[in-house]
Amino acid sequence: MMKSVIKRMLFIAAALTLALAPSAAHAQIRFDISKAPTAAPIAVSALKNLAGDDDHSVSAEFDRVLMRDLKLSSYFRIISPKSYIENAQNSGYDIGQFNFGDWSSLGADFLVKGAIKANGDSIVVEALLFDVPQQRRIMGKRFTGGLGDVGEMARRFADAALQSATGVRGPFDSKLAFVSTRGGRFKEIYTSWLDGGGLFRITDNPTINLFPSFDSGARHLLYLSYKTYAPELYLVDVGRKTETPIAPGLGQAVGGALTPDGRIVGAYSRGGHTNLYLLDSAGGEIRALTQNRAINVSPSLCADGSRIAFTSDRSGTPQVYVESLDGGDARRVTYQGSYNTAPAFSPDCKKIAYESRDGGGFQIFTIDAGGGNARQLTVSGSNESPAWSPDGRYIAFGSTRGGRSRIYLMRALDGYVIAPLTEGEGNDSNPSWSGWLGN
Amino acid sequence: MIRTHRGRDGWGIELGALTRAAGVALVVAALALGGCSSKKNGAGGANGANGSPLGENGMGPGGGSSLDQARNGTLGSGAQGPLSDIHFDYNDSTIRGQDGDILKSNAQWLESHPNSRVQIEGHCDDRGSEEYNIALGARRAQAAKDYLSTLGIASERMSTISYGKELPICTEETDDCWAQNRRDHFVVSQ
Repeated sequence: MMKSVIKRMLFIAAALTLALAPSAAHAQIRFDISKAPTAAPIAVSALKNLAGDDDHSVSAEFDRVLMRDLKLSSYFRIISPKSYIENAQNSGYDIGQFNFGDWSSLGADFLVKGAIKANGDSIVVEALLFDVPQQRRIMGKRFTGGLGDVGEMARRFADAALQSATGVRGPFDSKLAFVSTRGGRFKEIYTSWLDGGGLFRITDNPTINLFPSFDSGARHLLYLSYKTYAPELYLVDVGRKTETPIAPGLGQAVGGALTPDGRIVGAYSRGGHTNLYLLDSAGGEIRALTQNRAINVSPSLCADGSRIAFTSDRSGTPQVYVESLDGGDARRVTYQGSYNTAPAFSPDCKKIAYESRDGGGFQIFTIDAGGGNARQLTVSGSNESPAWSPDGRYIAFGSTRGGRSRIYLMRALDGYVIAPLTEGEGNDSNPSWSGWLGN
Repeated sequence: MIRTHRGRDGWGIELGALTRAAGVALVVAALALGGCSSKKNGAGGANGANGSPLGENGMGPGGGSSLDQARNGTLGSGAQGPLSDIHFDYNDSTIRGQDGDILKSNAQWLESHPNSRVQIEGHCDDRGSEEYNIALGARRAQAAKDYLSTLGIASERMSTISYGKELPICTEETDDCWAQNRRDHFVVSQ
């Protein structure tokens, strides 16, 4: 038994060493988040290597992740580094140590500069965001960690840059889970960063694995598997890489979701009827949430844990309902369309995204959690399984718009499709988007 | 108004575990198709106090299920056991008239093979969400079980499972294909 796991604790410390006074920062908000943004041109300079050697691999990794995330936000457009005039290694990286004219002449509204230095076994990355036209420093972060943490530093800096530019923290320090048939496999569960990095296969069984569901900090993941040929939910401890079968003896497991505090809402079928149950994290039944002879599936928890949205065909067709987790009557939310399913509560619990049948395919809509104000977000291809970003600005979803099924990212505000989040062979579906990993 | 950081001291979380995990695939040797079952846990991965390693594997009990057929590449080949499939209308689980006759002949076979057991699989076409379709397939399997029950087959001899839309026997997006996929399949074991 090889069990010599070396516990090496790496810490990223992001000290706000360079913050401006709040009044000055307030003037920097460039975007009104209630409106669709016009992407602002931003230059992302290489990090200055303070060790003075020619190894720029850390800088390249930081900038690659940062540029990808800034682009995915749709608030920024990256000015090609090929056009940069200044050599980052030959100039300073803070106010007064470089020439803003080198960046304004490229048309940059924003600029990221910074530096990296080794500190024993760890590295220190300092990154700064500037407003080029106003020649001001907007925000700065200092990160300390190992070489393996550089991507995480970049994700946190991207989130902070969005916070500075829009007033709302960005969503990239979070994880995506999804189902994929890549590699010629049956449906397996994968996790990755939003930028596609860190792809990791959770399951390894040639049967059927479906419906990954993260808890808010991505510490646990629930999914459904047929791996023993009797479908069950499994609760994965992501850090320990272990899992526990959830087997409450309520019938065939059909699906489920994690509550923000780590309990489980599971759908179980018995006698042809499928009902929802609140379970503890070991699978013990706390109470039935629905008790009828219909189909009740696809639970989605509101982030404060007070309510669930789910699909039921109790009215004769599949429709979205909302119910308190304490019990109480379910309230029907959708009335337009004959097939509405896969509801997903927005993080502020005010809206529900769902898919609605449209001819042969499905389109994604949002609706107020109390009903009303239904808005169609997608139009092309068939689009399913919406999942909100932790900041509520984006929705990941599965779509066949490009042929095979992939996970795409769109703005929740106007349905603008930003980019596919997955690529390669196979079909990708069932996205789940965790909350922020850092606090 | 604007918070450019959260918490007075900034961020600080352990990162080592996740970043290491990201690069390490948890590969537990997959059993060869047709290999024996009942592999016990422990072939790799840390075994926590309450949890088993990820990635264990196994073959089905009967070996003739649609999932087994999908795994050995024979799903949709037309091979049938002694009992015939029945089919359903879109988003419906009502036993149709002609399918009642099929169920009657299935019941006769089961009566003449009193030691046999049957697992009834419910399947759906690929339109609609996966989760709703698993519930719909469960309803379809139950409809056949109830029907066979009224024909005198003991319910202890019958089990049900739904595969939803996961195991289509026909993969084109046509009415004919969809109709073939909306089915109950009967897997007999002795």
